[in-house]
Amino acid sequence: MSSDALQDWTDQIRDGQNKFCDDDPLLVKRRSGAAERFGESGFPGRKHEEWRYTPLSSMVDGRCSSPLARVEELKGVGDLPVASIARIVLLNGEFRSDLSDLSRLPGSLKIGSLATLRAEEPRKLNDQLDSFFPPEDHPFQDLADAHLDDGVILEVVDEDVTVEGSVHIIHAFDGSEAAGSAHLTGLIHVASGSKLHLVEEVRCQGDVLGNIRWGVCTGARSDVRRLRVIRRGGTSIFHRTVVQQQADSRFEDVFCCSGTRLMRNEIAASHEGSGCHTELLGAYVARGNEHVDNHTTIDHRIEDCTSREVYRGVLAEKSKGIFTGMIHVHQDAQRTDAKQSNDSILLSGEAEANTRPRLEIYADDVKCTHGATIGELDEDALFYLRSRGISASEARSILVRAFTSEVLEGLADEAIREMISEELQEAIPSGAGES
Amino acid sequence: MLSIQGLRASVDQTTILDGLDLNVKAGEVHAIMGPNGSGKSTLANVVAGREDYSVDGGSIQYNGVDLLELSADERACEGIFLAFQYPVSIPGISNAYFLRSALNAVRRYRDESEIDAVDFLELVRSKMKLVGMDEKLLQRAVNDGFSGGEKKRNEILQMAVLDPKLAILDETDSGLDIDALRIVAEGVNMLRQEDRSIVVVTHYQRLLDYIVPDHVHVLSGGKIVRSGDKSLALELEKEGYSWLTGAGSTPGNNPLEVS
Repeated sequence: MSSDALQDWTDQIRDGQNKFCDDDPLLVKRRSGAAERFGESGFPGRKHEEWRYTPLSSMVDGRCSSPLARVEELKGVGDLPVASIARIVLLNGEFRSDLSDLSRLPGSLKIGSLATLRAEEPRKLNDQLDSFFPPEDHPFQDLADAHLDDGVILEVVDEDVTVEGSVHIIHAFDGSEAAGSAHLTGLIHVASGSKLHLVEEVRCQGDVLGNIRWGVCTGARSDVRRLRVIRRGGTSIFHRTVVQQQADSRFEDVFCCSGTRLMRNEIAASHEGSGCHTELLGAYVARGNEHVDNHTTIDHRIEDCTSREVYRGVLAEKSKGIFTGMIHVHQDAQRTDAKQSNDSILLSGEAEANTRPRLEIYADDVKCTHGATIGELDEDALFYLRSRGISASEARSILVRAFTSEVLEGLADEAIREMISEELQEAIPSGAGES
Repeated sequence: MLSIQGLRASVDQTTILDGLDLNVKAGEVHAIMGPNGSGKSTLANVVAGREDYSVDGGSIQYNGVDLLELSADERACEGIFLAFQYPVSIPGISNAYFLRSALNAVRRYRDESEIDAVDFLELVRSKMKLVGMDEKLLQRAVNDGFSGGEKKRNEILQMAVLDPKLAILDETDSGLDIDALRIVAEGVNMLRQEDRSIVVVTHYQRLLDYIVPDHVHVLSGGKIVRSGDKSLALELEKEGYSWLTGAGSTPGNNPLEVS
């Protein structure tokens, strides 16, 4: 990145910070500390191990450095067909109660804006942020802290309740008037023994950089399932989730991305009690010059926890898909059972897949498996489909559906599963994979 | 219906079909027999349009159309159906989705409207009954974890749903026990009709006990070397294929060794 571009970003941070002069000193300190770190480190380049295949310094310029302006309406694609009990709209970095629908919330579920919490209980917010996002050298975390403003807080306050239906969260970034960025923080806390299901949808228009981070705490015995759908057409999306799991809780995340110019998907899950299960699933399709980078970490800290991870990518034209999956089994994490796989299909000779399964195991009684494959569509299966009258391009699309089905098959809602499957299939260019 | 003249085909520069002629009229059942490696499966795959084979000469006319000008999917839409020797499994795609995609592709080609889910289910259920197939297999992934018999029956189901004019059964009897063989053959026989031709490619005579052919051809060295009626198949059963090469029978080359 040129020094001019970095200057654009740091100028915008400085301008932004001046807006928040009335905040609590802890939050002011958080913002200024992050601004300082970001000003020193900037965006990482190829030499930074965590960003080796996504060297931001040469990928991000200054165009999106200014904050996205407020827009009135949610435009673009329609909603996913979610059977929702709440619809939350975060548009250009702002929790929009006028566009959200919280009228049907059960008493056990509290939803509010981060801006409100920031104003009313800055200490509480700061404590939570400290626990999920301690200061570290991380460009998007620093940007999120430096611009700390709005987002959403979700809390299942009662124990042993099942929240029926899904909470539908729409993160929309609209840069059709002017390019810009927005940084959001979400916090989720689910009380012991309770169940929550979330569908998070990310939509972009125009030239935008969307930076979303979540801190999730799953209480003991709780069950939290999240589906993330990155709708086609985004420019730059950075998405980070930090999960802290209490004993015997289950966290499941299904990530679906049907094409984004630059996508960085980070999840870091950590077990803080025994008997936890973490399930990380991902399906992604990229074409053109699109770049999808998945970066996951599962920290098996405690004994008797399990994890399963399946990421599958289809890469067409000159796109790049990256998977870095760290499974860290700490010394006390005996009887860990961890499975990880990343499979990629390349539809062109110019597409690129980089896969790095990383296992660090310090306990002696564990079962850990990992595997990675990179291949092409099965020619025999293609001929089989074509011999039944299915055109070459539809046959390829059906095989893409087949390939990603393992990731999607766990989604109980058929309408949404079908829509995602179709979006992934449609993201394949019609001539891709022709031999 | 089908007229093959002087067909030559090769794979990896090895000639497999070397001047093959075959004429099949509407409503006829032809059996193509021959030893292993004689080019039977190549013939079936070349007619179906598999691109791994290169066609080096000759012509294939099908209902007045130059078949070699059409892609595999266009040939299927024109009414050609190949029942595979080794049906391919496709984990992640249900049999129902596969069949409906295929049927709709064929219907679109014929400028017919796509079939809706309800009509499709009704159609496919009736065809499953016809070929004696368990309805549960509809929601299973295509051929995934199917037994040999289930796979072959699934081929016949696809044939019944797609309603082809020319069906080529490539070694449909391989890997089947006698009960499965009979059920598959019964399914094929129910699909015999005046305007539909069937070409049965087989190594062994036993399938022809159930699917009785009008014509039998012996393929050897990439050509049809003898043609006759169904009695030719019985003759082959007695004599084996050794007379073709003029030598005694070689292991794995004798149909009589199989019970």
